Amino acid sequence: MNRARGCLALACLLVNMAAWALPPGIMPVAGRPAPALQLNDFNGKPCNLADTAGHWRFVHFWASWCAPCRREMPSIQQAMHRLAGSGIEFVVVNTAESEDDVFTFLASVAPEILPLMDTDGLATAAWQPRGLPATFLVDPQGKIRYQALGGRHWNEPVYLDFLRHLPVRPATPAGNK
Amino acid sequence: MQLRILPCRLLTALLCLQPVFAGALERPVNGPYFEDDRMLVVLTPRTPAQMSAFYEARGFPPAALERIRHTCFMTLRIENRSRDVLWVDLGQWHFYADGKEIPRLGEHYWQQQWDEIHLRQASRSTFGWTQFPQLRDLQPEEPVGGNLVFPGNTRRINIDAMLQTGAQRTGPVIHLGFGNVACRQDSPAS
Repeated sequence: MNRARGCLALACLLVNMAAWALPPGIMPVAGRPAPALQLNDFNGKPCNLADTAGHWRFVHFWASWCAPCRREMPSIQQAMHRLAGSGIEFVVVNTAESEDDVFTFLASVAPEILPLMDTDGLATAAWQPRGLPATFLVDPQGKIRYQALGGRHWNEPVYLDFLRHLPVRPATPAGNK
Repeated sequence: MQLRILPCRLLTALLCLQPVFAGALERPVNGPYFEDDRMLVVLTPRTPAQMSAFYEARGFPPAALERIRHTCFMTLRIENRSRDVLWVDLGQWHFYADGKEIPRLGEHYWQQQWDEIHLRQASRSTFGWTQFPQLRDLQPEEPVGGNLVFPGNTRRINIDAMLQTGAQRTGPVIHLGFGNVACRQDSPAS
């Protein structure tokens, strides 16, 4: 009996560990505050990241000339569908391109995405991405907790499960406020 | 501890003598290529017409295209295939032509160029993101890519690259050499 309970406890532990293991290419960030992000969307409507406080935010920077962006964008659109109602807000930011370039690109790869337009590229620079594409996961309290390295297939189960199980109140590493 | 593929002086000598030295060429690519279980490195020389067309399609004005056309672009891609951090610090990469070290046209150079022609901020941002970063701590599986730019009168380049490893840059040091890499010219018809 005790042995069976032990096995069950071990199985539960392994399941929890699997749920919290980081998927490939996801790097933890020591909770630095997310820079301000106030831009107009493609339709000219003002948007402010701060208005979505209380939710996890998936903040993604891209440009049409970037080949990995082209491969990644359809997977983001699919992830948005799969995670609808999960509470995650998707914020997709085009870096320094014209409306024509953005329209042409998205129409061919992910027509349902409504991007924010960083027309001069300065908002993108403030986030200090490692390159394009770049994805940051911002916690409900407004701190960057994870950064994706290069383009990812966000519609794959390993990434969807990870995004679904993001904690409401992330643990704060010692030394970080 | 230092892991050296070749001693540095010998490497430099070989770079001057060998038509191509870049590890094993295991599959055909349009430019120097190195691959092992730690990393993939691909260097692709571009013609002035290719680069000019790329930036023209993104709204760069003629004055900017003119300056871009008079330089030598090479697109560098590196992928970390190890389980350790791989440091790519261009300050530790050296470029030689005709037996002399040559400069890489970096951020400061382009800032001056763009100031002279009053290039708009959006184009500066785009240009910046298309350049290879000066320093990158490549995490396991992380790729990085971008352009290296050299003076336009450069014809062939030898590259002596040093990459450090480990989270604190204290792991084995890797030396790579790429020899006699040609700056591509436009074909007469273009």
